[in-house]
Amino acid sequence: MYLKTLHLRQFRNYRDQQVEFFAPKTILLGDNAQGKSNLLEAAELLATLRSHRATRDRELVQEGEAIGQITATLEKDTGLTDLAIALRANGRRTVALNGETLRRQLDFLGVMNAVQFSSLDLDLVRGGPGQRRSWLDALLTQLEPVYAYILQQYNHVLRQRNAFLKQQRKDGDRPVPVSFVDEAVPAVELLAESAGSEAIPPDATQLAIWDAQLAAIGSRVIRRRARVIERLAPIAQFWHQAISDNKELLEVNYAPNVGLEQDDPAVVQQAFLAKIQQRAIAEHYQGTSLVGPHRDEVEFTINQTPARQYGSQGQQRTLVLSLKLAELKLIESVVGEAPLLLLDDVLAELDLNRQNKLLETIQDRFQTLITTTHLGSFDAQWLKSSQILTVEAGKIRPS
Amino acid sequence: MEAKQQVGFCSVCFHLSAEPVCEICSAPNRDHNTICVVADSRDVIALERTREYKGKYHVLGGLISPIDGIGPDQLHITQLVRRVSQQSIKEVILAISPSVEGETTTLYVGQLLKPFTRVTRIAFGLPMGGDLEYADEVTLARALEGRRDLD
Ligand SMILES: Nc1ncnc2c1ncn2[C@@H]1O[C@H](COP(=O)(O)OP(=O)(O)OP(=O)(O)O)[C@@H](O)[C@H]1O
Ligand SMILES: [Mg+2]
Ligand SMILES: [Zn+2]
Repeated sequence: MYLKTLHLRQFRNYRDQQVEFFAPKTILLGDNAQGKSNLLEAAELLATLRSHRATRDRELVQEGEAIGQITATLEKDTGLTDLAIALRANGRRTVALNGETLRRQLDFLGVMNAVQFSSLDLDLVRGGPGQRRSWLDALLTQLEPVYAYILQQYNHVLRQRNAFLKQQRKDGDRPVPVSFVDEAVPAVELLAESAGSEAIPPDATQLAIWDAQLAAIGSRVIRRRARVIERLAPIAQFWHQAISDNKELLEVNYAPNVGLEQDDPAVVQQAFLAKIQQRAIAEHYQGTSLVGPHRDEVEFTINQTPARQYGSQGQQRTLVLSLKLAELKLIESVVGEAPLLLLDDVLAELDLNRQNKLLETIQDRFQTLITTTHLGSFDAQWLKSSQILTVEAGKIRPS
Repeated sequence: MEAKQQVGFCSVCFHLSAEPVCEICSAPNRDHNTICVVADSRDVIALERTREYKGKYHVLGGLISPIDGIGPDQLHITQLVRRVSQQSIKEVILAISPSVEGETTTLYVGQLLKPFTRVTRIAFGLPMGGDLEYADEVTLARALEGRRDLD
């Protein structure tokens, strides 16, 4: 797929800027704080309806304005599509395809695909499990847009169930000894057992329903996450091996909170409910849900050593690059068209070997938008088949 | 505004009503053996528009939602259980939107009523949390017709 035009109006520091892309690679050149990442962020929003840096739409709308707009023309095998997002400082965003406003935002997802790669992505390896979960979720959303709906439902049920548990704990009015606030303390179970029937929450009927809802929707999350990792892992392994000259074996392993013995909805739900039973007392005392995919982890090991704690800087960089290359390939094979690649500040950080591996992969097949402060910081090969644009104070001009 | 203040709730089904017992509850020609349970009075109005349904109603006055501090005690659930257990009700139809809260409420009410009568739920073809209120008459009529036993 190819992004032909992008028009930003009152978006971040862009007042009214039209950009036309006409080469496989576009280099956005400019000093700090001029709007390079803002442009990439617009592309990210078109692909995922999410921004990895903004938490609220208000931040995306130009300061002092009520509404900001991103419009674009995308060329796919099937023809041209016009995409439009209207962001509001106060109020809900609206999205449109080919001039028609969509009732469900879900229908906007999956039209454009992009893989984002910035220097922040090292946090994928170094950061907490939450970061790996959001990465996985963003990828899944692009592969099967309905996942966005499933995840939102899951989070909704989770919030309701947490509110319920909290409220039950309050109603129960049982003091919780500080030492029991920690999870996985068998003593809690022992104590509760001795407390006998008193430990049974007053509204067992409602709790059982929230359990069932969480398990039903949670299983869908788990199975999809397992499936995507299963497909991604071998591709990432291949790239990591290639970049490390066959010296390193990368393993990407999904470690779900609820074990996945079999890819069968009924089996997963049963396992989910069984684990909830196991942790019931602890959940009751802590007043929060301790079981489910909101506690999933993705483990990266290099030569059987956890990359998070023991990986060198170089290994971690190779790992992240391999993951990104795997994302590109996976999206391409699932969607049937090459996604865009958005490289934010990251190219200069890669050594020549890694730069070349990346270049070999994308060739002219993946439209790539690259931000940089200096052209000299990466290999001259990148300049071939590149369009260079200068970004200055929210204005873009050919250089 | 003036008119609204005068409107209270039916003491039987909790539908909006100026009288202590609403028109639907006091109508002699309606089916006394069937109760349709809805979240809100607006749902009664929507279902009445279909002209398909001839039974009685019960308005819960909301949906179970712990986030908003709404539990079964805040809804007219006890009154419903009393109605069903004390009268010879042949069927209770749960016509509640399939949102997360709607699903929980449906299952909750269903569990309480099952010992007393047959409990069915309407078939919702509307994906992703469709609202009764916004469904057109044909869709609603079809949903009623295609109701199935709650499992
Ligand atoms: N809502 C907004 N309204 C107006 N200006 C904004 C808004 N949000 C961000 N900006 C401005 O955008 C600029 C940051 O742009 P951006 O993050 O794209 O920089 P950059 O060119 O990528 O720089 P760097 O090289 O440092 O990464 C800042 O000057 C900031 O004040
Ligand atoms: Mg930047
Ligand atoms: Zn009445």
